[in-house]
Amino acid sequence: MSSDDTDEVQSKAEPDLQDIAQKRDALLVRLDEALTAMGRAPAFAKPGKLPRILDIARRVMFLEGGCAAVAARAEVLEQAGVFAGSDWSTPHILIPSLSRVALRSAEADLVVIESLSELRLLAVSQGWFLHPLMSSEQAHHYLTQVLALNLELLFSTPSEAERAQQGRLAQVPRNLLRYLAETIGYEHVIDQLIDEIWRIQQQRPIQVDTVKHMITQIAVCRGSGDINWGSSGQGADRLVSSLYGPTQATREDPGLEEYQRRLSSMDATALQYEATGFARAMHDTGLVSPYHAVMLRHLPEQGDHLLAECLGLSATGRDCLLCYRELVHALVAAAVHPGTPQAVYGLALMLERGILYQAPVAPALWRQLSLSLCAAAEQRLLRTFGDGVPPASRLLEGVLCMMGLPLGIGQGNNPTCQSARALSMWAHNDPDYLLQMVVWAARDDEIIMHFEGQPISSRASVGGVATEVPVDLDPVSLLVVPHLDRIYAEMGRRCVGREGDPHRWVNPEFHGWWSGRGFSINVDVATGQLHDLEGFVRHFYAAYHPFYNGNQPLIHPQPAGIAVTDSAARFIGWHAITLLRVTLDPAGIMRAYFYNPNNDSGQDWGDGVVVSTAGHGEHFGEASLPFEQFASRLYIYHYDPLEYGEPAQISREELDQVIGYVHRSWGAERVPAGALQAEQADGGAGAPE
Amino acid sequence: MKKDPNKGYVALLGWSLSAVEAAESFDRRYVVVAPDWAEEYCRQHDIPYVPWNFERLNDRSMEIAQTLKDMGVNVAIPLFEETVEWAGAINSVLLNNPRLLGQAMLMRDKSLMKRRAQLGGIRVGIFEEAHDRDDVIRFLKRVNQTLLKLDGDPNDPIHLKAFDKAGCLGHRVIRTPDEVDAIPDEEFPSLMESHLDGWEFAVEAWIHNGKIRFLNISEYVSLGYSVFVPASPELESYRPQIRAQIEKLVKTFDIEFGFIHPEYFVTSDSEMYFGEVAYRPPGFKVFELLERVYGFNAYHALILSFDPKTTEEEITGFFPKEVEDADGYAGCFGVYPRRRVVSRLEIPAETEDHPYFESHELTPPLQETVTKRTAFGTHWGLMYFRGEDAEILKTLLKHQEELDFYV
Repeated sequence: MSSDDTDEVQSKAEPDLQDIAQKRDALLVRLDEALTAMGRAPAFAKPGKLPRILDIARRVMFLEGGCAAVAARAEVLEQAGVFAGSDWSTPHILIPSLSRVALRSAEADLVVIESLSELRLLAVSQGWFLHPLMSSEQAHHYLTQVLALNLELLFSTPSEAERAQQGRLAQVPRNLLRYLAETIGYEHVIDQLIDEIWRIQQQRPIQVDTVKHMITQIAVCRGSGDINWGSSGQGADRLVSSLYGPTQATREDPGLEEYQRRLSSMDATALQYEATGFARAMHDTGLVSPYHAVMLRHLPEQGDHLLAECLGLSATGRDCLLCYRELVHALVAAAVHPGTPQAVYGLALMLERGILYQAPVAPALWRQLSLSLCAAAEQRLLRTFGDGVPPASRLLEGVLCMMGLPLGIGQGNNPTCQSARALSMWAHNDPDYLLQMVVWAARDDEIIMHFEGQPISSRASVGGVATEVPVDLDPVSLLVVPHLDRIYAEMGRRCVGREGDPHRWVNPEFHGWWSGRGFSINVDVATGQLHDLEGFVRHFYAAYHPFYNGNQPLIHPQPAGIAVTDSAARFIGWHAITLLRVTLDPAGIMRAYFYNPNNDSGQDWGDGVVVSTAGHGEHFGEASLPFEQFASRLYIYHYDPLEYGEPAQISREELDQVIGYVHRSWGAERVPAGALQAEQADGGAGAPE
Repeated sequence: MKKDPNKGYVALLGWSLSAVEAAESFDRRYVVVAPDWAEEYCRQHDIPYVPWNFERLNDRSMEIAQTLKDMGVNVAIPLFEETVEWAGAINSVLLNNPRLLGQAMLMRDKSLMKRRAQLGGIRVGIFEEAHDRDDVIRFLKRVNQTLLKLDGDPNDPIHLKAFDKAGCLGHRVIRTPDEVDAIPDEEFPSLMESHLDGWEFAVEAWIHNGKIRFLNISEYVSLGYSVFVPASPELESYRPQIRAQIEKLVKTFDIEFGFIHPEYFVTSDSEMYFGEVAYRPPGFKVFELLERVYGFNAYHALILSFDPKTTEEEITGFFPKEVEDADGYAGCFGVYPRRRVVSRLEIPAETEDHPYFESHELTPPLQETVTKRTAFGTHWGLMYFRGEDAEILKTLLKHQEELDFYV
């Protein structure tokens, strides 16, 4: 039997299940032999027996029922010494969040040993065996956390990025999570899952495929009735209905053709009712039902009033629609299909932003409508999104979403945060420039930018930051990012040999004239040590904090660099973000609002620094931190040297607060010798970014 | 395991974790003699240990023999080709038998070994020593003239082997004079042999008191790639002749105890040709394969056959019945990357899903560019298989050569 594709294995019928059971039992015999051999071996020879056990265990867990069989051997695994000498030998100090990293590793052994440990703890939690270091309650608590932290493994198929990293291996953590959830009970995680979906959707990402998939899984679970939900699953209704039945006439998910028939026989009142229903669901969740697309395509014949209603527009948006009605009709006809429903949301928000009133934008959109794509661009779109919708429509959907949700752009699983940030900044600040970029990339397959007067072609540049061609991106990023990435890297190469950090020159040239030419960095590039931290913080307050800069709100989005830390406040890496606003939040706390091109901005950076994405006055897609906490993770910012604020007024207390955060986190090992704590610091993690 | 003071005390020459593990779980006292990099590990794990750097025998050699003698060690067991002469030297002291050193030197020189075999009336192919590339070209030409080849006919290949390296290390197959240029200077002098078309196999034989106590035939599927035990029924049908050959070998080389690992050819007319013989455990993990099918620990057997205090009952009771007691066939395949650039390890699904597949010891690639293979050399790791049918196993092992494990 071929099992190249594991999904295939699972979907096959009864007789093959027998086949799998046979294969599994044969492997289990070998696993038992290997475990016996390890159990017998003297301590020094045990590590040598481990690879064989891990390999067989991996193949067992790959098969239906394999995880259960492994869990049944939990005590034997423990006693044979599989975990001996590793972190897993002391399960009571294991940290649930580390399971995320381990289960996604490309290293098979790491994935397997983590899985074995999880299954052992499952056995402990079920009282199948008594562990000297962990009670069944502790184990149960630990596993619910692991489940909650790895929810997407439970509901989603491997992403392209995962597939590339893990290959066939990606199935093992999925089988594990399913078995854990089945044994512990879905009711323990369904609430977290729903919360997770709402949390992600509050950031209004452009890419919603994963979320849609998770919602579909919830719908399937609820439909199947196999699972005892208990009191869980409240709040799933809105999510499920927003995709499958947002209105009166779609409530029982009648199918697109049937709905089209129903629409043709509706009177104005009924249509109005439907339109309102769609609009409410869309603005509630940020998700658009394919029925919504059918409705919208039906409406232009019925008049602009209903169209505005169906898009859920305010007075601003409606005004814009009426001014540019022909363009909007053309955009609906070209971009809105049941296969591209998110175009509706993008269109609605673009109208709300009023950017069509900027003179070049409307004509640029007309150009976009009649644009013919070059073969390479078409190929890339087809390869990633399939041929359900013509590539040009797919791209147009992406354009509308980007114009409507500039902060919803994600970098995917690629090291291209600068390119994603640039796209977001242009969509936010300079939309017709973005439209120009799209045309260059889609039509010419080449972008030329200038660096200090010298042209840089994306074709001539050798390589970008990303080593592989990204695939997990929205349609616009998919076409534009590879070009931007190469240009960005080339600009960096042209700065080789200059003293200091290249972002000083690259950022303004790459992003736009509004990036301040003043540049401040608090890390010495050569040594990786902190450098003039106090001056750095003082000037940041003076330039950006409204209390010290003459109450001047931030005008243009500014590129900035942060030192990302993990939940234990340890340094992870340098990252590009955009500083958007600095203002008082509803509770009267001064906050920095910023855009993080990372796909999910809600992160715990340790030492009490938890990035908020909702509930503190954030707009959709913004992340925020209290000003002093934000300043403490910052390592690069730009400013206008002519608008310098008043550095002298910042109090010692405020400075010390920020410096304290820095020294307790990423700066801990970077304090130069002789400064402050006079600690001898090590070389640090190398040059920034 | 509890050690029996009435039984022998053995020294293992060279570091092998499998051998140490076996010694630890056996009733003989043992000590590991290995270079000083093993010291910390041995101390950590309470493994009896004497440091010694095995270089060429020199005037300090007596020192280690005396140290072991003072400790009460009865016999030294070589684990690697490089320690064979050391075992000979040490045992000649421990057992008070100076001829053991000479015997060991014979085992370390492929050319001398062949001459000795010839003197004992054992058939060997045509062979000669080569001191430079001209010797190789001359030999290649002469062998092919003898075979009545005309100019332009494809040559029969010749084999070039280092005098004193284990197994396939430094083994090259030469077909044309062009290939001779690729041989680096440091590989000379070496041994040249004519190519024998036939069935190549190896034997593992445990000897005690001059008698063969257990004889296994290992069948090569492809030299340097794969081997399985016990041999297929076709090859096993030659067992009586093979046994007679080994007895001749034991007599010729005057082997009283220990373990030998010779290689032979059977040609199509059922004639046996001697290839070479080693006085140490075989590579390619044949010991592990034997344990998989027969259930006895081959290192225990090794210690038994060397220990002068082993009794007749003990050794006859130890071994199972050859072939009859084997549970199926076990084989292994040495993986070489086939591509020039590799990024990760990926066991082909068809291999992993085959019911005969047992386990592997491949590790992820450490470098991306694969060095070009010049000789039969070091594989990147072994794949283990086991099953009931020799024919299926053989086909399976052969088929692995066409698959990519590193992509």
